[in-house]
Amino acid sequence: MKKAAIPFILMAIVFAAAPVAAQTDPEILEILDDVDRMWQGESSAGSMRMEIDTEHWSRSLEMQIWSLGTDYSLIRVESPAREAGTATLKVDNEVWNYLPRADRTIKIPPSMMLGSWMGSHVTNDDLVKESRLIDDYDIVISYEGDRDGEAVWEFTMTPRPEAPVIWGRIEQRIRKRDRMPLWAHYYDEDGTLARTMTFSDIRAMGGRTVPTRMVIEPADGEERTVITYIELDFDVGLEEEFFSLRNLRARQ
Amino acid sequence: MSRSTRDIWWRMAWRNLWRNRRRTVLTASALSFGFVAAVLVMGFMNGMMQEMVSNGTEVVTGQIQIHAEGYRPERSIHGTMGGREGLDISALVAAAAAQEGVAGVAPRLYGGGLVSSGDETVGAVFMGVDPAREPGVSRFASVFVEGGMPGPGEVAVGAALAEKIGIAVGDEAVLVAPAADGSTGNDLFVVAGIYRMDLGGFDDSYALLELGTLQDFLAMDRTRIHEVAISVDRVRDADDVAERVAVAVAGLSPDLVTEPWSVFLGQLYFVVSLASAMNSIVAFIIFGMAVFGVANTMLLATFERRREFAVARALGTSGGALGRIVVYEGLLLGVVALAAGAVLAFLLLAHIHANPIDLSSFVGTYSFMGSAIRPLLTVEYSFQEPLVSAVALLGTGIVSALLPAWRAARLPPADVLADR
Repeated sequence: MKKAAIPFILMAIVFAAAPVAAQTDPEILEILDDVDRMWQGESSAGSMRMEIDTEHWSRSLEMQIWSLGTDYSLIRVESPAREAGTATLKVDNEVWNYLPRADRTIKIPPSMMLGSWMGSHVTNDDLVKESRLIDDYDIVISYEGDRDGEAVWEFTMTPRPEAPVIWGRIEQRIRKRDRMPLWAHYYDEDGTLARTMTFSDIRAMGGRTVPTRMVIEPADGEERTVITYIELDFDVGLEEEFFSLRNLRARQ
Repeated sequence: MSRSTRDIWWRMAWRNLWRNRRRTVLTASALSFGFVAAVLVMGFMNGMMQEMVSNGTEVVTGQIQIHAEGYRPERSIHGTMGGREGLDISALVAAAAAQEGVAGVAPRLYGGGLVSSGDETVGAVFMGVDPAREPGVSRFASVFVEGGMPGPGEVAVGAALAEKIGIAVGDEAVLVAPAADGSTGNDLFVVAGIYRMDLGGFDDSYALLELGTLQDFLAMDRTRIHEVAISVDRVRDADDVAERVAVAVAGLSPDLVTEPWSVFLGQLYFVVSLASAMNSIVAFIIFGMAVFGVANTMLLATFERRREFAVARALGTSGGALGRIVVYEGLLLGVVALAAGAVLAFLLLAHIHANPIDLSSFVGTYSFMGSAIRPLLTVEYSFQEPLVSAVALLGTGIVSALLPAWRAARLPPADVLADR
């Protein structure tokens, strides 16, 4: 089976699969490492739709996306027209936004990293934290077996002492047969479920199998953000130089 | 008991009081001094509280605020008055301004976002204001170190914020904020002014914009605001004025909540209430001490007159009547002390009120719960505290006389006369 490359935003949020974690079971590392290898060093390009429902408004954005590994990504809004050109560049742990109306690029200050990204239920922090997740959490297999007729693993991630993280615990379910993520549950420091992420519509896109739909729901209230991939291509030959502030501003 | 008989006890008490003039004057002076001290301490306390409330409310908040129900404490951007449609802002402002005791009315809109210039970006609270009305309520307009209030397309920021991102008057700053429709508002604004409030977070995390400019920026109709801040002529009338305003604006939208500062600055109100409770304790301590001093003196005075009391008893005066004379003496002593104390207290209060005592050579200005306190010892006139002190003073006279009166009433005449 051709292993799937998980597009940047899913990688960013779900997989903490940098393959070095001293205190985590080697078997888990092997699984994560395997997942890791699916996308390590790979580039992708495509487009996605982000639908956001809140108590006060609903909106739908279409965006173009480019990524290289987990460290580099660039997202540019295509529609609605009022916001077209608005773009986000992520390099390592830093996030810049390009604002077409003001024609300025601003770097998101650390104090704003927990703020909403594009009005969605994804935070700026979600975009960058993947490279640190495995360093900050101890991971154990809390369940292995059948769930709903599928063989799965369930991982429980607990933050290491002193780790600068906001979650008290993260749980993930991964389907064994293709190592696809099914969901992730985020708990706050009191152990209360704070938000869930659900992955579905796992199918071939750009020649690989990927979860093409992701739903992010805060535990309280009726709000949700749904991200759907419209088109994805892999190994598109992007270099690090592509992810520059100049390209952040450029309309393509 | 006939009227003349009743009078005679008072007359005897009065004459007894002045038999030892020096002692009476000294004792009365102690009571007068206690009275003046109590009134002054309470006056200082009230002056300080008044100062705290004034500063706490005159800087930004005003003494009365109108919000949509449920706006506080989360202060959601969607919590505008009259819901999503908003309301007739000028009618609301006019209705509030027409009320007796209202000095100024200022409509406001809030948002949160980023202010950026060059490579520097900081988070800030955006406050949309009516530049013409805002000076009637807050101090923003009077604390500009450069430039002034923002007009359309302009922004004014605190000095610390300006320094942090390196902007000066005339520069352009980028503002970014999540708008009410979910989009990301972003635009360039010219820096119109830089102010220095020296208080709270206003200097490092507030940016003022013209109300309509901020409404557009946050994708809101020109009918939407979060707050109306109102200043009153006299701070102590805030509760009454708030009630009148609440009635006057009720018809404009069903979701309006009008609150005086004692509600939306609950902590400050708590401290002020605590201070007035402290006033009672101060009075209790001062007059409690006086009771023992005066009782001692009166005990001595009745002991000196025990032969005289014995004779009176032997001639048929009841013990109760003798006791009553002593209590009357105590009461009269209190009246004399009060008369002297009232004159002295009034003169002192008037003087200090006109010439506050400046303590700035001892302590610097400090801010406490959003309220800058100047080290200026001033007093506030009020009727309540002097009245309480006066009652306490007369009470002291009577209570001090109780033990001596009881001793006088219980005097065994034969033993005393026989010097046994």
